[in-house]
Amino acid sequence: MRKIAKTRIDDVLRALAPRYDLYVPVEGATTMRTPTATLWQEGLENASRFRLYEEGLPLYWRTNTGLSPKDLFFPQTEKMYTAISQGKTVEIKEESTNAWPIILFGVRSCDIASIDCMDRVFLQKGYEDTYYKNRRQRTLIFALGCSTHEDTCFCTSMGIDPKASPTADVQISDLGDAFGFTAQSPSGQQILASIDSLMSDAYTAQPVSPDPMLINVNLEGVTEKLETMFDHPLWDELSPRCIGCGTCTFLCPTCYCFDINHKSPTHAHIVKQRSWDSCMFVDYTCMAGGHNPRPSKTERVRNRFLDKLLYNRQRHGRVFCVGCGRCVSKCPVSLEIATVIQKIQAAEVTP
Amino acid sequence: MYVHKIPNSHGTYETQGVLTTPDTNTIHGGTTGYAPTSAGPVGPNPLLPQRGIITKIITETPDTKTFCITGIDGTKPFSPQPGQLGMLSLPAYGEAMFSVTSQDDTHLHMAIKAVGELTNALHEIEEGQECGIRGPYGNGFPLEFCRGKDLIFIAGGIGLAPVRSLIEYCINHRADFGKLTIVYGARSYADLVFKEDLFENWPKVANKDLYITIDRAEETWDGHVGFVPSYIEELALSPSVAVVCGPPIMIQFTLANLEKMGFCPADVITTMEMRMKCGIGKCGRCNIGSCFVCLDGPVFTQEQLNAMPAEY
Amino acid sequence: MNENIIQVPDKSGISKIMREIAGDLLRQQTISLVIGWEKGILPNKSAPAFITQSQDAEKLIFDEYCYHNLTKYLLQRKGSGLKTAIFVKGCDSRSLVGLIQDNQIAREDICIIGISCPGLMEERNIVIPAKKCEICYTSVPVEYDFLIDCPETKTANDEPGGSYAHRELPRVENMTLDQRNIYWQKMFENCIRCYACRNTCPVCSCKECCFDQANPTWLGKGNSTSDNGFYHLVRAMHVAGRCVGCGECERVCPMNLPVMLLNNKLSLSIEELFDEPPASLSLDVTATLNHFKPDDPEEFM
Repeated sequence: MRKIAKTRIDDVLRALAPRYDLYVPVEGATTMRTPTATLWQEGLENASRFRLYEEGLPLYWRTNTGLSPKDLFFPQTEKMYTAISQGKTVEIKEESTNAWPIILFGVRSCDIASIDCMDRVFLQKGYEDTYYKNRRQRTLIFALGCSTHEDTCFCTSMGIDPKASPTADVQISDLGDAFGFTAQSPSGQQILASIDSLMSDAYTAQPVSPDPMLINVNLEGVTEKLETMFDHPLWDELSPRCIGCGTCTFLCPTCYCFDINHKSPTHAHIVKQRSWDSCMFVDYTCMAGGHNPRPSKTERVRNRFLDKLLYNRQRHGRVFCVGCGRCVSKCPVSLEIATVIQKIQAAEVTP
Repeated sequence: MYVHKIPNSHGTYETQGVLTTPDTNTIHGGTTGYAPTSAGPVGPNPLLPQRGIITKIITETPDTKTFCITGIDGTKPFSPQPGQLGMLSLPAYGEAMFSVTSQDDTHLHMAIKAVGELTNALHEIEEGQECGIRGPYGNGFPLEFCRGKDLIFIAGGIGLAPVRSLIEYCINHRADFGKLTIVYGARSYADLVFKEDLFENWPKVANKDLYITIDRAEETWDGHVGFVPSYIEELALSPSVAVVCGPPIMIQFTLANLEKMGFCPADVITTMEMRMKCGIGKCGRCNIGSCFVCLDGPVFTQEQLNAMPAEY
Repeated sequence: MNENIIQVPDKSGISKIMREIAGDLLRQQTISLVIGWEKGILPNKSAPAFITQSQDAEKLIFDEYCYHNLTKYLLQRKGSGLKTAIFVKGCDSRSLVGLIQDNQIAREDICIIGISCPGLMEERNIVIPAKKCEICYTSVPVEYDFLIDCPETKTANDEPGGSYAHRELPRVENMTLDQRNIYWQKMFENCIRCYACRNTCPVCSCKECCFDQANPTWLGKGNSTSDNGFYHLVRAMHVAGRCVGCGECERVCPMNLPVMLLNNKLSLSIEELFDEPPASLSLDVTATLNHFKPDDPEEFM
């Protein structure tokens, strides 16, 4: 392991930024910093998230970002193609793709597990998704081990090690006053070699360990139990609380549902785009004729949790919750997955 | 094509995080497989439509038209199996999934009922209009399973559209199939789709029974009057393979009657309809349990549906 | 002394009285559902609770994390003809009055159990009062059937808009036009349009929101600064004059955006223009924009 003092982390970022699109975790309130305005810099609060690195951005290292990095591979709204109609003709123009390499710097273990979930959806099962793949295949990932956690974190319950992500290209460890760097792939090795002069040997340094998490849930047997719970009264009990917003799905790093729509600068000229959609929204499954297979909150809430804990395990081979705790922290009414897992475990089922 | 197995309710699961059956498209080596240095070309974009031309529009009923679509170069955009789907778009209005009703050497035919923004717009266009088309999607009818057997087609209203692709296939490969029985009904004579087939082409097919019914009596109609589900009971069809499609209420009663009549759930085939956006099993909304209708369907047997959550 | 006002020695006694009242009501079968709060997964988390069995009344709690304005849940019971009991803090009671005035719920269908609010705390820092308390204009419920009164009842702000508006609004108002433009653009740019602010808002009571309409589509699913701005401005105008300042919209925003600032500004402007009290402080006084007087000012016309 090689290390650099935390106070000098900007040196590493400055060295990488010219060669890569470098995305780093950035504190919230600062996103409105512009050269022309200083008075009201702190006037607008905002959630922390990954942003393209620029000198002077206030970086956020303490815990995970408020918004997951999924929008870097799967932006909330993404142009797909342009279509121009003229008389009876229709011309379709594809968006040009970018080949510039990307580094995602400082991703936590839970979010790295979520990228694995996203890969399973977008790159497997019959079709590869062109838009996702284009970004994903030119991205290198620098994982950052956690030395502390939010009250809402529960990745350990999901079988994830907050300090280590073996599939990342580089693992960064929190050594207290320094960051330690370990290459885990040939590309990671190459990059670290190129910035090696900035670092010194870490010898026997040990990464700081986070305290035990406050939320512990038992995932064992949940999937199997849910197979018998489609008609269980639990869903009627849980669903009245839901307010039907998209907070859980938009913050969830493994939620991948999207809508395909268009915006029209003119009627003849449309930009086809896709954007995040939420299974919690009423119109999500509503068909043109008006029929809706999931007409009430009960069906929608049930579908969301069965999807996370049962359907995706059946379809993609793993539970689609990584214990990042974003829904625990942000669901306006605390109808979040940790509570729901506990309720499923406690539910009585008749064989 | 990827075929998703209907989950076995007593099945066991793979260890968390490990896929035991690697897909051909799996990126090996996890995250590291995606180093920028090894970036390869991104393949053809399955979400990008090709340009098509609607060369002919046939009015079937007051609210249904058949659109004949060819590629911009005059070749068929793609060659679907019976029961497969295509995504048709008019860019200014949107995109929607339709079953390919039939096809010839150069054209795909889609019978479309006017129900929403896009379909209403489609009903307004003229021949020669260009469009976007992508596909084919979905599993289609199980041809191998049907081969050599007697087939009963039961359809209501616009539900004949997907079924017709299979009927047409059977007629074109007549020797491969046993007796063909077609039971079709609509609200009125005017609402019967594909009248040329119903009254001119199909009556000439060998070894077939053709039963047509309308819901309410009309002066000029001397055929059968009544609903499809009760008609099949009256006909006392002997159990074989049944292919059912129609409005939800008709399907519900038909399936119940078929069961009463001794049809085996594995021999009853139906096609599902859900809201779809991508067609390639990514966008999430057409799931019934862990199945995606756009990818694993739209064709399911009654036996498969019985094993899935009743949420459609 | 009003027998429907129950004094508790201190705020820790509120939960016990809540359970007693809820248990009694359910046992008497005069009502079929009690909406209150229960403890969440963490000590600093509370959650809405739906109690239908008297023995489950034991789950009810009140602590400094019971932020949720529960009154909107009453819309789920609309038209069912069933009676519901609901717990409200001072701020929540105003939205209940608003819903009754808007004919969304019938007064006789609900049993209101008010709590004189001792104040809430920020979830992340137990010494900081919750932001929604900064705009509080009434800590004692304005309408109730039962009132649980505690000596620690918080002193409400003596001006509409409270310390929040008097701190935040001047800051934006003092910006140059350019700065202000950037400020709002940045806010709209950061919105993820999860609709939490709309869905939690007790005065957003339309059965189908215009933003959800498919035909015609007023607002697509795409996220862009202009679309997001359109959403926030239209929503602000739709609730103008009816906003009760419960602060739920800003509390639920997952992006921590200053969502209630626009509503706050509009409320204060309306009060100033028409010289009328804030909306929904009493069942007897209709909200400013819901009635007409011949001498209403017309400066905006």
